[in-house]
Amino acid sequence: MQLFIGGARAGKRDLVAARFPDAAWHRLDEAGLEGRKARRTPHVPLVLTGWTGWLAHSLAAEPDDDRLRAGLAAALEALVEAERGSDAEVVLILPEMGRGIVPMDPADRRLRDLAGWLAQDAAARAEAVWYVRHGLARRL
Amino acid sequence: MIAFVSGGARSGKSGVAETLVGDWQAARGGERHYLATARAGDDEMVARIARHRRERGEGWVTLEPPLAFAEALAALPPGGTVLLDCLTLWASRVMFEAGLAEDEGRAMLAGGLDEARRRGLALVVVSNDLNEDLPPRDPLVWRYLAFLQALHRDLAAEADRVIEVVAGRAIDWKGEER
Repeated sequence: MQLFIGGARAGKRDLVAARFPDAAWHRLDEAGLEGRKARRTPHVPLVLTGWTGWLAHSLAAEPDDDRLRAGLAAALEALVEAERGSDAEVVLILPEMGRGIVPMDPADRRLRDLAGWLAQDAAARAEAVWYVRHGLARRL
Repeated sequence: MIAFVSGGARSGKSGVAETLVGDWQAARGGERHYLATARAGDDEMVARIARHRRERGEGWVTLEPPLAFAEALAALPPGGTVLLDCLTLWASRVMFEAGLAEDEGRAMLAGGLDEARRRGLALVVVSNDLNEDLPPRDPLVWRYLAFLQALHRDLAAEADRVIEVVAGRAIDWKGEER
């Protein structure tokens, strides 16, 4: 598993598209990882985007942050497991949104917390983590 | 030679950029030019501009270029070193004062970079990193952020050196001198 993390419009998608030209792309949004397995093709790398939408949707459905984080970590673990059984890379594109002022809106604060925890939990399981800034990438 | 220097508010990015301009000027000779993007709209801006001018010190030729700053570069003697501080403000004037579209603004920046190369000027551009906060909900703010990031990506792709500044320290992202 590889992780690309960076701020809004940092150029993450273009970099991933250049490095994994044959990958299949899946946007999580509200549906999350449901239905993803059906789309999995052997030998084809899978790029997962749209985590902010999934996080926003998930935090509205689950009021407990710890349970939510544990659920997300389990989903990451399942991804890693599925990758072990295949010969194709999983690539996560995650948003960096934790370097601003504390948001006024409690839901925004939770979203920011969850995005940070998700990034930490993903990085802990990833073989490579890339920080993307202004179209350039640095391996962390 | 083109360098892109950026960081957070009061990270010391102007200081790092001015040091780089000094180094380049020492190596290349020629004049040192400052392209001011700020216009004094209120007392806070007047004080801010005065502080920057004081901190830059002597030896700068200050210009207030038009938004199409390639025109100002075209009038400079070749071989000099130029500081543009800062692109964030320039971008807001391009979008909100001049009302230009994203593509027009990007073309204007590209024109400036081309002119610097053509005239053998060394150019250092300073900007703010604003894109690692929660994505803005206001469509206008989002449009501005997307525009600024497009400029940052264009500039980073074209620049010989890309430097991130944290607490006055430079982190090299591209073309570091070792």
